[in-house]
Parts: sequence; structure tokens; C-alpha cells
Amino acid sequence: MALLSKQERRHFPDWDDPAQCIFQRVDIDVEKCDGCRLCTLVCPANVLEVYVEDSRKKARVKTSQRGCISCNNCHAICANEAIGAKLANDFVGFYRQLGRGPFSLPRKF
Amino acid sequence: MAETNAAVARLDDAEQIEADAGRVSKITEVPVGADWNAVERAMLERRSIRKYKRRQVPPHLIRRMLEMGRYSPSQGNCQPWKFLVVRDAAMIQGMEEYCAGACKKLSTSFDYTTHRAGSLRHFATRAKTRLFNRLQPNMLHPVPMTVATLIAQGRFAVFHRAPTVILLLMDKRGIGTPEIDIGICGTNIVLAAQSFGLGTCWIGFSKLLNQSREWCARLGVEAPYEISEAITVGYPVGDPTRPIARDTHEIVWFEDGKKEILY
Repeated sequence: MALLSKQERRHFPDWDDPAQCIFQRVDIDVEKCDGCRLCTLVCPANVLEVYVEDSRKKARVKTSQRGCISCNNCHAICANEAIGAKLANDFVGFYRQLGRGPFSLPRKF
Repeated sequence: MAETNAAVARLDDAEQIEADAGRVSKITEVPVGADWNAVERAMLERRSIRKYKRRQVPPHLIRRMLEMGRYSPSQGNCQPWKFLVVRDAAMIQGMEEYCAGACKKLSTSFDYTTHRAGSLRHFATRAKTRLFNRLQPNMLHPVPMTVATLIAQGRFAVFHRAPTVILLLMDKRGIGTPEIDIGICGTNIVLAAQSFGLGTCWIGFSKLLNQSREWCARLGVEAPYEISEAITVGYPVGDPTRPIARDTHEIVWFEDGKKEILY
């Protein structure tokens, strides 16, 4: 008995395939974003950048979110609560995340 | 009266003994839904900090942090740690360059995503990585390899240009699993730092320095010690204290003959 099937245990995800290494997790609220660039500084995967649109600066995710580990450093540093991840990164096969529930803020019991 | 076996006494009469001795331990009542205390707050506000101000950390704070490491629990009280504190900017830069070079080798050898899809190099690297993946599933994971590639491309620093780097050396002769003791010791250090308003980050790639005879000599890393982890320390840029959401994890709870699944 194991939580991963025999097939899963043998399957190492293809690093090139975004459907097998799932990193697409950061949401940005462009209305709230003031383009301050703090999130681009603290992102451990270097997937964020600031662009200019209608002479207003806004953060966005680069072409690839590869490497985003949902650490939420971007959320922790944002003054406007404009950015954050609400889902964990995940993989297909051998590295599939197990036993995870939905994201939650710290809870007081 | 027959002499009581200490182990049995602990089970049966311990509360009587503490009462007789007049040293009854106080029970702290923590009400349901109580506000976070200072320790919890440090744990919740700790982030892995990768951007630091230039300002150096006062040495007495580093000493205070290491003091908390000294008091961490270890298997059989074996205390399998040794601390190296590096605050010399040129030396940190040298360590950075060595590790970045090693990451570059790792990246070209294993991160096939950097090679053009369809090329022979991509095909060969991918085949090699998939083979090694089975043997080294923890290290050859797409997340650290992505970071190794960022470092190789000069888009990321191993030691994050931190003013202070603490290298945690492990005595390989430690009792049981000394790696865990190093983890516990480092956690004490990191939480103490957090309580002083300092930022820290665990640097696993610091282990690459073990491969360098030159750096081992320069740092004085000798068997039976090896570099197990490093912790960068400095004042964080910005104010990274907003509470964040995290994954919840399955908790299996056995009580009164029942089993419950909580999150």
C-alpha cells in the first residue's frame, strides 16, 4: 500500500512541461498594484517584473512562472495586498504533493 | 521501605514527589483563541529573506543567536555542530563565486530546459537527468535546479549579498541523525534572529563548498566536520511582515479509540 501508484513512483515529471511541473500560481490585482517593485526584489524564482502601461507601473509575471514555489514572499512584502499565491506548486508523478488542504492564514485555536 | 526504581517512580509517584518537595511546576493556561505570544509571532513573521540592507549586524546579536543554537536539543546531547561566522565581504564574495561556478556546472549538466528543445544536447541532458533523478530524487529536483540555473545566469546570488553568513558545520560522528540536530539548532538561531528584527535565509547550496579543497582549507573545514547548511543574516529590505496564507496539511488525530482527519 502506498499513496503513490507504481506508475507515479516511476514517473519523473518533465521539467519542460508546465502541465507536469505546475508553477502557475501567482495572482496580481493590477488595480491595487502601484508598481513599487518590492515583489520583484524578494521573489526567490525571479519570475516577477514591472512594466509600464499608460505611464503607470505595474507588476506582472514574466513569460514563465517556472520556479514559483508559492512562498508568498511577494504577498508578505506588498503594501497593497496586490499580489500572492493561493495554491501550492505541484508536480505530476513522483513529486505529486500529498495531504495538502487549501491555503489558510495563520489560525488561532 | 524498598528503594524505588527511579523510572517507576516517575510514572507512579512523580506528582506526589513534586508536591512533597514543594517544587510543583506551574501550569500555564492558554485560553482558546488567545493572541499570538512573542515566540509564535517570531515563527509567523519569519520569511526567508533574500534581499538585505547594506548595514552590518552588530556582533553581539550574532553571539546571542549562536547562544540559542548552543541551547538547542540534540540526540544523546551530542551537540554535533560547529559555527563559522563570515563577515568579511571579500570572503563572502569568494564563497559566492565558487558556489556560483558549481551551480553553473550543475545547471549545464542537468537542467535540460536551458538547452534548445529538439537539440541533441537537450535530448542527451534530459536522458541523463532522468536517470540520475531516480538515484538522487531530493537534490535533482526541478525547484533547486531552477535556482541553480538562475545563479548560473547571474540572475540570483547564492548568499544573497548578506553582510553576515553563518556556516553550520556538522560533526559526522553525531548520534543517530545529526542532520536533524543541525536543523533544530539552525531553527533556534533563525528564530532568535527574527526576534531581533533580523532577516535570515537557509542556504543549502553552501554544501557545494565541501567540494573545494581550497575553501575547506581557508575556512578550516576538516573531517569529521562538513558544511551542512548556511544561514545568511542581515536587515531585510522592505517590510516583509504581512501575514501570509500557507498550505494546510492533513493531520491524523487518534483519541478515545477514534481517528479523525483534520486540516
